[in-house]
Amino acid sequence: MKKYPPQLFVILAFILAQFAWLGLLGAWIYYYASNYIIFKQVGNKVSPQLAFESPNVGVFVVGIIIIAGIAVSMFLVFRNLFVQRKLTGLYDNFIANITHELKSPLSSIQLYLETLSSKNIPPDKQKEFYAIMAKDTSRLHKLINSILEISRIEQKKVAHSYHIYSADIFYKIVETSAKNFRLPPGTLNIQGTFSGKCVIDKEAMQIVFDNLTDNAVKYSVGSTNILVKLKNTDKKIIIEFSDNGIGIGLKDQKKVFNKFHRVYNKNIPNVKGTGLGLYWVKEIIKFHGGKVSLKSDGPAKGTSFFIELPIYKTSKKLYINSLLRATAKKERFMEATDGD
Amino acid sequence: METNEYKGARILLVEDEETLANGLEFNLTDEGYVIEWAKDGRQALDFFNSRPYDLILLDIMLPYYDGFEIAKKVREVSPQMPILMLTARTSVQDKIKGLEQGADDYMTKPFHLAELLLRIKGMLKRKLWYKESSELLPKFSFGNNIINFENLSCTAGSRKFNLTQREAMVMKYFIEKKGKIVSRKELLENVWHTNPDIETRTVDIFISHLRKYFEPDPDNPVFIVSIRNAGYLFNDESGG
Repeated sequence: MKKYPPQLFVILAFILAQFAWLGLLGAWIYYYASNYIIFKQVGNKVSPQLAFESPNVGVFVVGIIIIAGIAVSMFLVFRNLFVQRKLTGLYDNFIANITHELKSPLSSIQLYLETLSSKNIPPDKQKEFYAIMAKDTSRLHKLINSILEISRIEQKKVAHSYHIYSADIFYKIVETSAKNFRLPPGTLNIQGTFSGKCVIDKEAMQIVFDNLTDNAVKYSVGSTNILVKLKNTDKKIIIEFSDNGIGIGLKDQKKVFNKFHRVYNKNIPNVKGTGLGLYWVKEIIKFHGGKVSLKSDGPAKGTSFFIELPIYKTSKKLYINSLLRATAKKERFMEATDGD
Repeated sequence: METNEYKGARILLVEDEETLANGLEFNLTDEGYVIEWAKDGRQALDFFNSRPYDLILLDIMLPYYDGFEIAKKVREVSPQMPILMLTARTSVQDKIKGLEQGADDYMTKPFHLAELLLRIKGMLKRKLWYKESSELLPKFSFGNNIINFENLSCTAGSRKFNLTQREAMVMKYFIEKKGKIVSRKELLENVWHTNPDIETRTVDIFISHLRKYFEPDPDNPVFIVSIRNAGYLFNDESGG
């Protein structure tokens, strides 16, 4: 792409760096070998055993290790650079999306204001326009809130408040999501049961299911149907969250959990979004010691998300206990500061 | 309210934001135009394929097909259709892409109502002017090039291609002013019908297109020559 010519520069620098360290390695081996031969020849004359006990072997190995160290750190720096570059590209995309979403209600408000000030509008029509402007204003407000939310959730990924809940808590969480998105009755079906306890951050888990529900609604043509199946094994609880939406093509299935990744496709009815929803889902579940995966048989066949979480006291004990301890510590700290 | 001489012109409004679309529909109807609103890319193409329009007002970020794709598809069928892109994307790349895909004009959101109405009027006016003057001069040839202003088909040596309506208008304007210096400002006022304080870059993009079409060597133009600090000069004889 014409857009990122510096990429070429980075690749060139990377290749040069390879030559540099290989050259250094070669020079070092050559230097050692030539000295070794001289040493051996001289040494053989003096004492035949001396060559094998030569202290130069240690120096040689250390030299090699240092050069290898340089190569590895160089590789890491370049890898990091490539990842950063890719992220920057995706971030630009994210900014473009956000700007688009902010500008739409703004231009609508401006349009109505200019209409009202430049034309003679009958009073009833005026009222209608004011109502529309109020609607756009609240949309703008919501958008700004959700942008602020981004940084809150980014922090939430780390600063959790974990507690032990009965697995039934998920009924409540899923139903709250349905309520948040005003799903009509009958849209959400919950099947199966599970038993056991799990350690979750309720607020973070709500973000997970809000995002899944939001996606199900956004990416379905016509009415949305959500089926949530609950079950458990000895060690984990499994939540299957399926929708009847447009599905995800094979190519994108791996990428949808990436930060800022968005699927562009002709069959997608909705173009609004930040490319963060599923990234958060993945991160939050990961912090819970769980796993999330998806299955979609391709376009128009719906999507199923599988969330696996460890059952309390049976799996991942160490990790889960560390979460609980961190929460307890944080809460003690909060209480102490509240008391002051 | 002043009367609009283009009353009754049919405009296809493609916009997925309902409130914005309603506001535009109200204003354009108030100006006397007939509006049909398509709320996504698919519907826009359906409408375009089934009914005649005088102008398309096109958003870029749309469900199903984006504005660029729509402009391209419209251009394939109807090279003369005036297309005005209306979008929140402000980058120069987007602007260039929009103009390359065949949009005649590009406005960024948020926009001023008065400016939008003027641009629409200007585009309709140009369309009419073009139609009238094409009847007087249906074909024009210079160098190895022949332009047919009625169906916008061109031949340059052995190459055959189509001009967009805007490109043809620019050529027509040049031909009318043959041998005289035409400033960017003049082109914007007479071909784009917009405020010349803005968007002189748009003109340059169009000129570079036209040079690619007609000049034997686009980097050393002989027909459309740049005059420093003044504008362009059209000659119909190379080496003149």
